Amino acid sequence: MKHPRVVVLESDGWVAKQLRDLAAESRWLVRAPRTTDSALSLVRAGGPAVLLVQFDPGGDAAGPLGLIADARRLAPDVPAVGVADAKLPDAGRAAWAAAVLDLGARCVLFPPLTRPVLEDVVSGLMAAAVRRTTGGEAAGGVIDLADEDGDG
Amino acid sequence: MPDTPPNRPGRPPGSESFAWRAFFQQSTTPVFVLGKGRRLRFANAAWEELTGVKLDDAAGMVCSGRRHGTPLAAALAPTPEARAGRPDTARRPPPTARAGPPWWDITFVPLAGADAMVGFIAVVGEPAPAAARAVPPAVAALRARHATHYTPDLFAGPSPATRRFVGLLRHAANSPGVPVWLVGEPGSGKETAARVIHHAGASRDRAFVAVDCAGLQPYLVESLLFGHGGVADTGHVGTVYLKDPAALPRDLQQRLADLFAENGPRLVCGSTTTAAAAVAAGKLVPVFHTNLSVLELPVPPLRDRFADLPRFVARWFPGLVLDPAALDLLAAQPWPGNLRELADVLRGATAAAGGGAVKVEHLPREFRVRAGIVPPAVAPRPITLDPILEAVERRLIGLALRRAGDNQTRAAELLGVFRARLGRRLEALGIVKPGEPGASATGGTA
Repeated sequence: MKHPRVVVLESDGWVAKQLRDLAAESRWLVRAPRTTDSALSLVRAGGPAVLLVQFDPGGDAAGPLGLIADARRLAPDVPAVGVADAKLPDAGRAAWAAAVLDLGARCVLFPPLTRPVLEDVVSGLMAAAVRRTTGGEAAGGVIDLADEDGDG
Repeated sequence: MPDTPPNRPGRPPGSESFAWRAFFQQSTTPVFVLGKGRRLRFANAAWEELTGVKLDDAAGMVCSGRRHGTPLAAALAPTPEARAGRPDTARRPPPTARAGPPWWDITFVPLAGADAMVGFIAVVGEPAPAAARAVPPAVAALRARHATHYTPDLFAGPSPATRRFVGLLRHAANSPGVPVWLVGEPGSGKETAARVIHHAGASRDRAFVAVDCAGLQPYLVESLLFGHGGVADTGHVGTVYLKDPAALPRDLQQRLADLFAENGPRLVCGSTTTAAAAVAAGKLVPVFHTNLSVLELPVPPLRDRFADLPRFVARWFPGLVLDPAALDLLAAQPWPGNLRELADVLRGATAAAGGGAVKVEHLPREFRVRAGIVPPAVAPRPITLDPILEAVERRLIGLALRRAGDNQTRAAELLGVFRARLGRRLEALGIVKPGEPGASATGGTA
């Protein structure tokens, strides 16, 4: 099985920074490509992955949201999360959330974003992605020295 | 002649003594006023709430991005454009964060005086511009393009199982509002089938929302559907696809069941078991079986539609050339992971083929073993650690004894251990000690 990967397409590095500790603890790779094409290549490479895409509802959202649609079509097992970088009233949130979910996102997050929520979203989706890749089996056949204490 | 000037048309009575501070205090929009030296002169209660700072503590603070200033002062600093006398808006992270989101969108309006600037009035406004509240045409066009991909033809193929399944998909799409339960093996394409039902159906102009019930924590599922800005009850959603609803807690299952029973969006569920089996196992509230799985559609596994293999390959890997023998080998596999497994195998085979035609040798070894093309791999010799370590130790001790002329004290020094430990190891390894009967000058074993 390939190493689980978190692929983050964003402008300011904030989301990747929030996930750094969780990724290190879980032994995931965090990749922050600069273009939608390279992000798509990463999610199409196979293996468990979660894609996070930041979009600006007030700016050019079609580019990043196109990545979510392409990922849904070409790598349907990679869950995508839309991360809005602008606060919206409830009605605006619902309209945007529906649009982004329709394009294939599993979840849409709006500010104020907190690290625990980001971690919950990514860890849950990654666990499901790993289950799909391994066919639901627990990782077996690996000797983990961290288990040594419990063995006694 | 009256003492006070007469009210002009449109001016409220008493406005000649307008209490501007009280006026701004009523506003829930954070407002603050800076003097010409960019010192904070006034801020309303909404500003205090936003920043968590009392005006009494912050009054007089110079709002600039200078090196020794506070993060709050930097966040509230007028832009160069505003300082030049032109209104301007800046997006700033709050002082508690080095980067957004969340963001503060601060609009600065410079107040011009007769000779110089008097100061600034600033509003920490709605973070998103009004245009952002509605989804723009470019995103709507993207959704329309995306939807065209999900037609029943996506599943079309010559195998009888596929033809039957496509017929059922069309029937489901033409049965508006009828809840559907898709049952199939992992990786067989249940979610894609649900999208096809949605986009070919009457609610195609609204959104398709897929909820991974096992992948998101229940509070996130609840928030997505029912929280602030939740999509369940807004009219934006045409179909909700619940992937494995039995993974949700029963109270949330019931809440969802209530939503879909009350003319909410159309419900399509996907699972590896039938609704009846999930209810019988106690994993699902009964209403999913009695009311919410009216149409039960079995999604055929890949092994029942081998005739469709070339179509699948052409769709996912356009331009890929598959050798006929390789195609036969693919068709001979059991495919427990279905289309998901097929895609993974083809991805690996394409890489192994290096851009050329995919041949039998590029497919996974276990496929060729299963087909009897190659023999099963011989089990590797066991590598048991203790005998290896003992053999190494025995050789090192023998070497040390030879170099020390069978003097155990010198041999122990060469090995970097105490004399007593060497004695114990000689005994444990069965090496005859020098000077004992049967010993040789080279430290032979017993």
